[in-house]
Order: sequence, then structure tokens, then C-alpha cells
Amino acid sequence: MITAERKPIKEIKEMLAPYKKILVVGCGSCVAECAAGGEKEVGLLSSALRMDAKASGKEIEIKEMTLDRQCVYEFIDQLTEVIDQYDIVLSLACGAGVQAVAEVFPKVHIVPALNTTFLGETKEAGLWVENCRGCGDCKLGVFAAVCPVTRCAKGLFNGPCGGSKTDRCEVDPDVPCAWQLIVSRLEDIGRLDLLRKVHPPADWSKQQGKGPRKIKREDQRT
Amino acid sequence: MITESRLKKVLNSGKFAVTAECGPPKGADPEVVKSKGKILKDHVDSINVTDNQTGVVRLSSLAACALLKAEGLDPVLQMVTRDRNRIALQSDVLGASALGIRNILCLSGDHQSFGNQPQAKGVFDIDSIQFIQTVRKMRDAGEIIGGDKLTTPPQLFIGAVANPFADPFKYRATRLATKVDAGAEFIQTQCIYNLKRFKEWMGLVSDLGMADKVYILGGITPLKSAKMAEYMAKNVAGMDIPEEVINRMKAAPAKEQRQEGIKIAVETVQALKEIKGIHGVHIMAIEWEEVVPQIVEESKLFPRPQV
Amino acid sequence: MDQKGLGITRAILFCRQLDPNQDANRRAIEREMGARIRFFPLPCSGRVDPLYLMRALESGADKVYLITCPEGACRYREGNLRAKKRIAYAKSLIEEIGLEPERFELILTSAGNHKTIDEITRDILAREES
Repeated sequence: MITAERKPIKEIKEMLAPYKKILVVGCGSCVAECAAGGEKEVGLLSSALRMDAKASGKEIEIKEMTLDRQCVYEFIDQLTEVIDQYDIVLSLACGAGVQAVAEVFPKVHIVPALNTTFLGETKEAGLWVENCRGCGDCKLGVFAAVCPVTRCAKGLFNGPCGGSKTDRCEVDPDVPCAWQLIVSRLEDIGRLDLLRKVHPPADWSKQQGKGPRKIKREDQRT
Repeated sequence: MITESRLKKVLNSGKFAVTAECGPPKGADPEVVKSKGKILKDHVDSINVTDNQTGVVRLSSLAACALLKAEGLDPVLQMVTRDRNRIALQSDVLGASALGIRNILCLSGDHQSFGNQPQAKGVFDIDSIQFIQTVRKMRDAGEIIGGDKLTTPPQLFIGAVANPFADPFKYRATRLATKVDAGAEFIQTQCIYNLKRFKEWMGLVSDLGMADKVYILGGITPLKSAKMAEYMAKNVAGMDIPEEVINRMKAAPAKEQRQEGIKIAVETVQALKEIKGIHGVHIMAIEWEEVVPQIVEESKLFPRPQV
Repeated sequence: MDQKGLGITRAILFCRQLDPNQDANRRAIEREMGARIRFFPLPCSGRVDPLYLMRALESGADKVYLITCPEGACRYREGNLRAKKRIAYAKSLIEEIGLEPERFELILTSAGNHKTIDEITRDILAREES
């Protein structure tokens, strides 16, 4: 899923400052799962913004809404009747959701309430970790299902750097050394020999070659 | 006139090589580099110049190497993949060769978060092993990544680093072998304080048949004080300083700790000379270059051979 | 205890397990204080969501209390520990908008507590006054 974190309220307030009627729109997918942009978080943030406005004698009107998905037109369409009544939209979606809404409503000012962070896994309650960079050229098959592009701080393809000590990454001792994981997994399955091969330079064009990437599937189109 | 790498000539002639490390200044003064070169010139075969080590901005390694070359030294250009993508790396490799630099040490580099630019974007387009392979192909096949031909290939003696003390230990010898497969011709190791573990690693290296395929130079860093030893043991990733070395430093009175550090360094050099497969030493006296001649002399490695 | 002069509103969120007769026991104080106090019984304090706390504050309460069972005595094992983390989050949120974090307060009843919810509440109000 895509993870995100709420921006500081101060930053959000600065974006909203000139406006009175605010539509706060959450997203019920990824960002709800990581407790950043679902219905509950829309409520918390709206509550805080209303109380803040009241305390500073400012009059604002906030409407709370949460779409099942903010990155798919069918769901964004639910805003059609509502959105024109507001001066600004504060979106609690990931960056993809914010931009999708903006594209559907080109004349509406829309601002993000979240910082979109990474593609990750819910490791345990309240803990999300990054484990995929969406590089477009998955090599998990040769790296014992541990992604060195994402989980090694230097993104090394050919083994650990000289800083791994007692299975921790030198950059952050809270993080396990990805290469230690790869090596011990390969050792367990008797395939350390896989590491004798030099992996050639990656093809980053699959990640960022010509600007934004797209996937086009004729069979899926109407 | 095409000069050759002195380091390569010393090693090829079967002599025990001595290299030292020189850190460029945090400023634009060429005299700092030249004076460090002057201190080291007669006592070492070649001088490594670090490339923004620990992610701290310093005078460029390539420029410092050119300055040392002009002073008649044989520089080893350290180049990290942290700050340059493959376009810049290959371009600088060609530039280095054109400037008469004949040795390159390929590294991934300390992570940018350790230095004074922690908000920098780490490039890591390719890793150190891919970089070794790239330079080797540029030199031997005259071709860059993707297969385009060079009009004139670079002339470089290609080196890599190895840390026998990092984990996973057993894999460390395999990693060295992979670097040799990729094209490394000489290896400079992390500084050695734990000789027992180093010998164990050399055993694994020999078992992989690498002892005869590559020149290995053991790393030496003289300890300035017991405090430094403790600091390094605790805070420098991948550093292995055994308790007995720290205790030995502590046992010396404060005024004599530098002398003790030099003594330990000399003893380590002597021990390394006796290990099969060790072809030289690499002395990294961090901001203490003036001690290098003393270590070289006391280790009976002076005068340096004329090649 | 004269609360009439205070004219402030209190929201009391509490764990129902604290007082089996909570429903009856809070009637008197509710009558006495009228709109100045509201009780919100929870099946377990761990069920509290920061959103309830925010909504309580937003709907006019000046101070929101969350009363939990003593530590280690939660019927659902760690409900009250969770309550502690939730209230900490809500505190950080109101701090961001410049409100005093003390507007949310966690009241951990002490082990061996046999007080009824109204007694606990009166203790809290008395402490506020002093």
C-alpha cells in the first residue's frame, strides 16, 4: 500500500489561510489503512481546524467527506455536486489522489494535507515499513525476496558495504542490514553461489527514464 | 608520454608495497595537498586521495590527485558511487587518465547521512562492484556501459576495498572474490587491529583461490590515543578494535600514547609481512600524515624500491 | 461542594467496568450540574478514540477526562495502556493548534479503588477547585 503522514497543522493552516469554506476529503484506501487519511483522520483534522479557527476568532465552514478511493474517477465523481460550494479542497489522499481530483476539477483549488511517503507493508499495529521502490524491474527472485534497492541504504546490488555489523545497517541501527538478510537466506537454501555473479548496473529508465511512467492495457480499455 | 602506475610496477616486481592516505582540505588551498604530498613522497609508493570521505565536502579527489601528480607522486584516485551517476563516473575516469592519474580505487562511499550534507540525494546509480567492472571494461575492451567504443581507453590500475571485519563474516571473502571477478587488481583493506580475525579471513580468501589473483594491501591506522581507540571501536561502523589493543593504549601514560599507537602500527606491519598473500600495507594516518615516514622506517620498509 | 459558580463544562469518558452501577450513580451529579457535565461510559477505556476526545472538546467542553481502571487491572488486559497512548496522541494534536494539552487528562484510578463514578468525579472537581 501507499503510506502517508499528516503534515504539521501549521503548514496546512498556511495553505488554507485565505479561505472560508473548506471541503476536507479523505480516502478510504491505502491512507486509511495507515491511519493518515481515512474517515477518522478527516474528523480529527477537521475538528482541530475548527477549534483553531474558533480560538482565533476566524469564521470557517468545514465539510467532511471520505471517498472510497481518491485515485479513481468513479469515486471522485461523488464530489461533482458538492465541490463547487467550497473555496478550497483539503485532500487527505496520497499524491496520486490529490492530483486525480485536481484533474477532474481543473478550476478548483486543491491542497494536500498529507506527505506521501512510501510503498510499504503494515508490519504490526502502528508500524509501517518501506519495502518497495516501484523500480519497474523486480529482482526479488535473485535476492531471496529482500529488495536491496529499497532496504539497503545505498541500494547496492552486489553485496553489503563494509559497514554492516551484527546484522544492523550502519546508517540506522534500528534497521536490519538488507544484505545480511539476503546472505543468510541464500546460505540457508545453499545458494550463496548466486552472489558470485556480478549483477550488472540496473536499468533505471524503467523507474524514471522519460518522466512519469504509465501502464496502458488495451484489453482493459472501453 | 604515457607514464605507468608506480604501485603496479612495485607490486608486479614482487616488492612489498607501501601506500598512504591523504585527505584533501575543506577548502580550495592547493598547498595543503602539496605539503602532505611532500611529507609522504619518499616513504611511500603511491598516495590515495579520499573522495569526500564520510560525506563531508572537501577539495575534489580528482583535482588533488592532479596536484600530486604534478609534484611527481603516483596518486590513487578514490572515487565513490554515492555522488555521481554512471555518466559522471565514466567521464571522470577518462579525465583522470588524461591527467596522468594511473590508479583508481572504486568504492560505494560512506552514506551521505553521516556527513555535513545529510539532506543530499544519494546517487548510487551503480555500486562499487559494477563500477570496478565498468572501469575494467573501459580499459581492456575500450567500451563504456551500453557498449559504445572509446576513441582512447583510460590507463588505470584498478583497486577495490575489503573489510574483513564486517558482517556477515563468511561472506566477506566471497565478496572480495566477486570484486576480483569484476576486475579489481589490488585490494586495500579496512584498518587491521584484530590480526587473529584478519588471518582467518585471509585463510578464506586463499581457499577461494584469490591470494594469487589479486594484490592485497593491509590497512594500518596508527592510534593517537586510548580515547581515539575507544571512539573508533564504538562509533565507526565495520571497525574491529579488540579489548587488548584498547587496554594497551590505556596502559600507556597520556604523553606516550602516540608512541604506543605507532608501536602497535609497526608491529602490525611486521606481522602482515609474514602473512602469505599480503603484498603491501596501506597506511591511513587520519590527519596525521607526518607520522607515516616514521612507521615506514621503523617497519624496515625504507628506502622504497626504485622502479 | 458548590459547583454552580464555575460555569464550565466537563466531559467525563470512563471505563464502565469501574462502577457496575454507574448508570444510577451518576444521576445525582448530572442533575446537579446540568449542562456543565457530560458522561460517556465506554465498555473499556481502550476503546476510546482520539476523535471522541476531539469531538467532546469541540462541542464545548473545556476539559475532557478519561478515567481508566488501575494499571494492570484492565479486564481486557491492556485497554488502559492503549487509552494512555490515545490520549497522548490527542494531546499532541491540540498542542499543534495552540491549546493546552492539559485539556485532556487521563485519570488512572488507584488499585483497590472502590469508589463509584460520582465519587471519583467529585474528587476530580474538588481537586480542580483547590
